[in-house]
Amino acid sequence: MSSLRRARTGLIFFPAFDWAISPTHPEREERLLYTRDQIFEEGLMDLPEIEEYKPRLAEMKDIARTHFCVPDVESQVTVAHLIAAGSTLTLADALEKGEIKNGFALVRPPGHHSMRVVHGNRGFCNINNMAILVEYLRTKYGHKRIAVVDTDVHHGDGTQEIFWHDPDVLCISFHQDGHTLYPGSGFVNEMGGPQALGRTLNIPLPPGTTDEGIHYVLDNLILPILAEFKPDLVLNSAGQDNHYTDPLANMRFSANGYARLNEKLAPDICVLEGGYAVETALPYVNTGIIQAMAGLDYSHVKEPDYVPGRFVQTDEMWREIKKTVGQVQKIWDDRDELVKDALQGLGDFYRRKKRVFYDTDMINENQEEVVRLCPNCAGFITISSSAQRGYGILNTAFCVSLPRGACSSCREDAKEEYEEHVDDRRIGYVYMQDKDRDKFKFCNNMTHTQRGY
Amino acid sequence: MLIGIDVGGTTTDAVLVDGGSVTKTAYVPTDHDDLLKCLLGALDELVKGVDTSKIERVVLSTTLITNMIAEGKTDAVALVLIPGPGTNPKDYSLGEAIILDGAIDFRGKEIERLNESQIKDAASKISGQGFSRVAVVGKFCQRNHAHELKVGEIMAKAMPVAEIELGHRVSGQLNFPRRAATTMLTVATKDKYREFAEAVARALKHRKISSPVYILKADGGTLPLDKSVQMPVETIFSGPAASIMGVLALTPPGQTSVVVDIGGTTTDLALILSGKPLLSSKGAKVGSLLTQVRAFAVKSVAIGGDSVVHVAGGCLAVGPHRNGPPLCMGGTGPTPTDALRVLGLSSIGDGAKAEKAMQDVADKLGCSSLEAAQSVVDAVVDRIVFEVNEMFQEWEQEPAYRIWEIVKKERLLAQSVIGVGGGAPALVPLVAARLGVTAIVPEYAPVANAIGAAVARPTLTLNLHIDTERNEYIVAEEGLIGKVTDKKMTTEYAERLAKRLLAERAERLGIGEYAGEAEVTYSEVFNMIRGWTTVGRLLDIRMEIPAGLLPSWRCC
Repeated sequence: MSSLRRARTGLIFFPAFDWAISPTHPEREERLLYTRDQIFEEGLMDLPEIEEYKPRLAEMKDIARTHFCVPDVESQVTVAHLIAAGSTLTLADALEKGEIKNGFALVRPPGHHSMRVVHGNRGFCNINNMAILVEYLRTKYGHKRIAVVDTDVHHGDGTQEIFWHDPDVLCISFHQDGHTLYPGSGFVNEMGGPQALGRTLNIPLPPGTTDEGIHYVLDNLILPILAEFKPDLVLNSAGQDNHYTDPLANMRFSANGYARLNEKLAPDICVLEGGYAVETALPYVNTGIIQAMAGLDYSHVKEPDYVPGRFVQTDEMWREIKKTVGQVQKIWDDRDELVKDALQGLGDFYRRKKRVFYDTDMINENQEEVVRLCPNCAGFITISSSAQRGYGILNTAFCVSLPRGACSSCREDAKEEYEEHVDDRRIGYVYMQDKDRDKFKFCNNMTHTQRGY
Repeated sequence: MLIGIDVGGTTTDAVLVDGGSVTKTAYVPTDHDDLLKCLLGALDELVKGVDTSKIERVVLSTTLITNMIAEGKTDAVALVLIPGPGTNPKDYSLGEAIILDGAIDFRGKEIERLNESQIKDAASKISGQGFSRVAVVGKFCQRNHAHELKVGEIMAKAMPVAEIELGHRVSGQLNFPRRAATTMLTVATKDKYREFAEAVARALKHRKISSPVYILKADGGTLPLDKSVQMPVETIFSGPAASIMGVLALTPPGQTSVVVDIGGTTTDLALILSGKPLLSSKGAKVGSLLTQVRAFAVKSVAIGGDSVVHVAGGCLAVGPHRNGPPLCMGGTGPTPTDALRVLGLSSIGDGAKAEKAMQDVADKLGCSSLEAAQSVVDAVVDRIVFEVNEMFQEWEQEPAYRIWEIVKKERLLAQSVIGVGGGAPALVPLVAARLGVTAIVPEYAPVANAIGAAVARPTLTLNLHIDTERNEYIVAEEGLIGKVTDKKMTTEYAERLAKRLLAERAERLGIGEYAGEAEVTYSEVFNMIRGWTTVGRLLDIRMEIPAGLLPSWRCC
């Protein structure tokens, strides 16, 4: 009985048919309509290989474990976001209970452009479903090493930023070259913070990359690296906009290519990200991914206008792809050296300044991030953030994050940092994210009120 | 006067209802080899001394289709599929099928053309194999049935006497494998069902009963017998449906309750939520096949009054099998019925034999016979309570695709447990006590099924799909395609259209007078945006006359 149930693939389909960013926005009610038609007509939920689950709402605490939402979680999320994030958690529980062998959260709204601090929506995302899932899996089930492979056409910059300093979360993103597509990042030289160099890997690909190109990257780079990293779990940020009909990008990936990718990658959980060819791609890509995960035959899935061999990569594209693969491979091979060298040149703290632009909400944010390079633990992090929407009010926040397994000295210092900034009238909101004790609190300095999750 | 007859597994029950109350009941044992004889036997018994000219309506519920399928007595059918891209048809448990080229997509657009010579080859192969019945089912045929029509036409030309059923006429809802199974079952049972229906009509005519005759469907609704020959599988599981409709008729309206039908070998459980019987979400499971037949969600638990009680390694187990009647009724081994007798909760059978049965159990458990009897009854009650809770939980866990559905779905708790069937009077109060709710065993509980049949009103469903970019609407089951000119059609307009189309469908099925009872049970509208402009709307409306009781019963 248990081995029989274990063989199933868990599926949560939450198309949020009553939620849109705006009526004509790509992230609108209609996005998964034809996918619904296709997978319902296929009768996929009735197959013994597939078990459909009902999503639950994520709790505020699940969000606060990952994000600093300014001013608070309630202001940054809608119920749709809580359901999308909650879906991934429902599947995580089913996986850990052994009810399913893998799971697919076919949900919207997406999340992989959301970063640690959230002032608004960027790249159609408010909160990062994948990162929330990772933090939940580590807190609730004690997983240490997790690999996130981002197969969306856009660079998974939010997920990268959240796990930038974390050597135990390997973030691999392949995507259309940032010179030619939103968010304009994801180059090979973005490879993680000083303690985690080589645990963020970016594989920019030339526009027009085909099934052959992407599978070359998978076979020759991603799969061998995963085999070496030996994660407890492999998660796929499964965007579907590498498809050759996607209106927002320029790649030439097919439904069959996506299905084959998921068969080879064998992710424990897939979370839908982008993909906006609502009629020409999504119904076929989603059917293929579900079948591949469930071990069903996906060879009958085919876009109406697809013929094998329709797209051919030029020699120049091949040269570029192979060169990138070589560069990333070298970063991976040298990762421990890189970390050693970087830490040698740094003192007790590492600082960086960065700017974040929220395209959907037109917000500009300036951040200064400080990481304690602690010999005894992962070290606490502080982030000073100020953000302005157009010429509107400037929101300022000071965020403290204490890692799992924090040492007593980091705990002391982090507490001090938090208390120092509470009542500092130059700062609007102060946050304390204690991942070690799974406690989260924040203070509104203007009203002198403290709350927690 | 209304007549209801339920040909059940063991007995055939009949009731006469007049002016809102039951005036006469009758029953005969069911003979599985001659259902018509049982039906007429019970009818003759019932109408003895009754002025048959005053009969307004006769409703039958029968196990005919259920038995035919269970016993494998259905006719052989060749299955022809037009699957298009997607799942490998071999992954569906539908058996052998002929696969044709051609495909329609979710919008109803042709994405691959049919291959006529391939269809002709298929037809000669089918007739060569000796089939005279064919089910033709295409993926997304409910959005465009041109392919099914064409294939049907070519096949009919090649096989003039064959019975050919097309998928879109069977169900307008999404789910290709379920539609294929339902279409297959429809054509496999059609001929024998028609023979039965005609025999019933002849027999009634012979008895000078000229009132309309209806058949009860699995969704608790009635349909004129002569129209039901188009959709014979809809009459499957009409027995449990009859019982549930009987419960609705015999208990206060609007309640949330659990219907417990305790029989010899099985206990059937059903839920009535705020006065509405719960339907199985995607359709009934018939044998090993998942179908689109609308049916009440009935859970059959393998435990009943005659279940075997056995003790192994000091552990007591009840069911799942039956080894003949209870010991107190001349059987060979202990059963829950014996336990109830010993506890004084029933007076069925021989008390001394019941005592002996429980003493056997007690010896193995090392306790008194009274304690043994209590353990047996507890085991039965435990199991039923567990399954009832599971049913509520499953209902709560049914997937939902909209925010409001997930946020608003309240927790429903049962207000009462309603018992029907032989084991009900003794066991239902115990189940109710464990659930902390009221027990109701209606006065006419033993013939609730026949009462349900007698007073159930017709049901009907209509699925309307509108695509304003393609300028058309479609009602698959009717094979109807209409023109739409308003690109921005509103939901209100679409619902009015659905209401009119349903009234027309009801008229064709001879149940026009009930069209006013129809309600919208599903309604969705999507704007189609291409680029940044709206190019049209997609609207889906489902309109139903839900299960309910005749006004003449309700008012009394």
